[in-house]
Amino acid sequence: MSRAVSALEGASHKGFVEVAEAGLVGMITLRGDLSSAKMKAAVKAATGTAIPAPRRIVTEGDRAAAWMSPDELLILVPYAEAPATVAALDAALAGEHHLAADVSDARAVFRVRGAKADEALMKLCPVDFATLEAGEIRRTRAAQVAAAFWRSAGDEFTLVSFRSVAGYVMGLLEVSSRTGSELFPA
Amino acid sequence: MAMKRYSVFAIAREAMSYHMGWERAWRSPAPKRKYDAVIVGAGGHGLATAYYLGKNHGLTNVAIIEKGWLGGGNTGRNTTIIRSNYLQDPSAAIYEKARSLYETMSQDLNYNVMFSPRGLLMLGQTEHEVRGYKRTVYANNLQGVSTEWISPRRVKELVPIINIDGPRYPVLGALYQARGGTARHDAVAWGYARACSAMGMDVIQQCEVTGVRTEAGRVIGIDTTRGAIDCDKLGMVVAGHSSVLAEMAGFRLPIESLALQALVSEPIKPCMDVVVMANTVHGYMSQSDKGEMVIGGGTDGFNNYTQRGSFHHIEETVRALIETFPMISRLKMLRQWGGIVDMTGDRSPLISKTPVEGIFVNCGWGTGGFKAIPGSGWAMAELMARGASPLAEEFSMYRFREGKFIDESVAAGVAH
Amino acid sequence: MLILECPCCGVKAEETELTPGGEAHLKRCGPGSTDDEFDGYMFARANPRGVHFERWRHAYGCGKWFLAARCTATLEVFGTYPAQSKQPPAELQAKIKARRPGWEGWT
Repeated sequence: MSRAVSALEGASHKGFVEVAEAGLVGMITLRGDLSSAKMKAAVKAATGTAIPAPRRIVTEGDRAAAWMSPDELLILVPYAEAPATVAALDAALAGEHHLAADVSDARAVFRVRGAKADEALMKLCPVDFATLEAGEIRRTRAAQVAAAFWRSAGDEFTLVSFRSVAGYVMGLLEVSSRTGSELFPA
Repeated sequence: MAMKRYSVFAIAREAMSYHMGWERAWRSPAPKRKYDAVIVGAGGHGLATAYYLGKNHGLTNVAIIEKGWLGGGNTGRNTTIIRSNYLQDPSAAIYEKARSLYETMSQDLNYNVMFSPRGLLMLGQTEHEVRGYKRTVYANNLQGVSTEWISPRRVKELVPIINIDGPRYPVLGALYQARGGTARHDAVAWGYARACSAMGMDVIQQCEVTGVRTEAGRVIGIDTTRGAIDCDKLGMVVAGHSSVLAEMAGFRLPIESLALQALVSEPIKPCMDVVVMANTVHGYMSQSDKGEMVIGGGTDGFNNYTQRGSFHHIEETVRALIETFPMISRLKMLRQWGGIVDMTGDRSPLISKTPVEGIFVNCGWGTGGFKAIPGSGWAMAELMARGASPLAEEFSMYRFREGKFIDESVAAGVAH
Repeated sequence: MLILECPCCGVKAEETELTPGGEAHLKRCGPGSTDDEFDGYMFARANPRGVHFERWRHAYGCGKWFLAARCTATLEVFGTYPAQSKQPPAELQAKIKARRPGWEGWT
């Protein structure tokens, strides 16, 4: 078996906030009818959560379910459990039109940690941070690439991008979090 | 009414009377009730059309109607580039006709249009682009248009501020048109307006067309905010507003109107004396006589008639050019604006008869109108006066239904 | 900047998150239509200076298509509505008429 590595193997930078690649994270794209009984049961079994409301991420320990579009969820699990979770989802949704794909290796995950974490992202994303709601996952762009982020802790954002642009995203985060470049000093 | 010729003798003569004797460059008459031909749109194309109707075809009972001030549309908003390095034969013919008319325009119009054949480069920054432009060079040489393919080293000689070793978009060479360049856009409109006025044509500004009158499928006149005007022939030369006018006459055009934005930097010392287009990254740049770097990029993606800039365009356009021109990252950008460009599906113009007899349309120049002004006017005048023009033949609005596209999406530069 | 509220996910998206998609409600003319009809469908566009109904895709968001009513002269957005709509919803048309009394209405 090959040794799995994340895109940047945990690289990090410290500026006015700390930005770090989060290493291996299990991610599954799940498409189907989000209102069906089978879907509710399948997601509950995989993550321990209910189907999230539009633009919400619901977390249960080290697992989560995030709403991506009216017919798509992002399921987050420990990396090693992704293949088994896909199999379980397929079994639970058998007979219903659906897609469960392991995209863990197609993505890169970043943690942006600090009191001014939102300022680092404000420079990159055309998002009104003042109106972000609790538990919201926001898909948008970070400079020139697609990205999704949510507030994963009081002073932490988690951001997901495609693996192929991980270096670019790390560059964006490192530059935008450089000490002295805070948007609203003090 | 002969206009007083501009010349060094005129300056000397007028200096004797404290320059109190200079005449207005054009008259501002009230509209007459009828003209043989009415041109709607006093931009470069409309004024050139009227001028050549007079000069080439002896038709001088002409009015040019303008809803704003003459030259205030795209003619006053473009980045003044003149070139003729297109791919298809019909395009080469009309753009080269235009370019060659620019060479003598100041003398022909007795008005300094500041034609500057400083040279134009289209950079090849990917293998694909290199192949595309080499093909264009071969086509140009067959068409009698003088362009050549030059090496990265030669590019660096012509453009000292360029970075040819960019990691993402290295300069692999360039298509070079030595006699391409720029001219002063406003002066082109003013020069044609002065000449038209001197021929007895009426340039009528602040006069908006509110309706087109037809009878039995033939045009009989227009309604305007300054009254009704009758005509035997009507030329619609209003660029981005062509659909608005066409709708008044009861037909639709295969165009969509989008904003094309441009910006200028603060003035700096002369650092670039050619025009450079970097089409892979969607940006182009030249330096004006005032020292400003004049920068343009791609169009907006959605229809709009706003004639103004938007903030993300500054970022996207400048970002595109920074690897190739690192110094612009230090420049303050001074001013941004937009025009309304009418885009056709094949990025080639419409110089055409229409479903209404006597109505002719000249539009669809998209992002490439300024360079074409004299050639466009020449062809449109011939079409209106004689009913056909070899230069305009392939640019009929009916070419789309027959699949006879003049596909210039590559040569049109940033038009896509 | 232009802001459109995506009716599929609710995000008030700034134009750089979106991809424009041209005029909405085109009547598709395929095999069996006349040359004039096919030519009109493929190439003729209203291109109005004023109220315009158009398609957009939430490319950097939920990815879905939707429709919008917008003024091409001022960029005022009157509203957004589902891509499956055969015509602009009645309430949206009423709202546009109230904002633009001179609007000739939906045809």
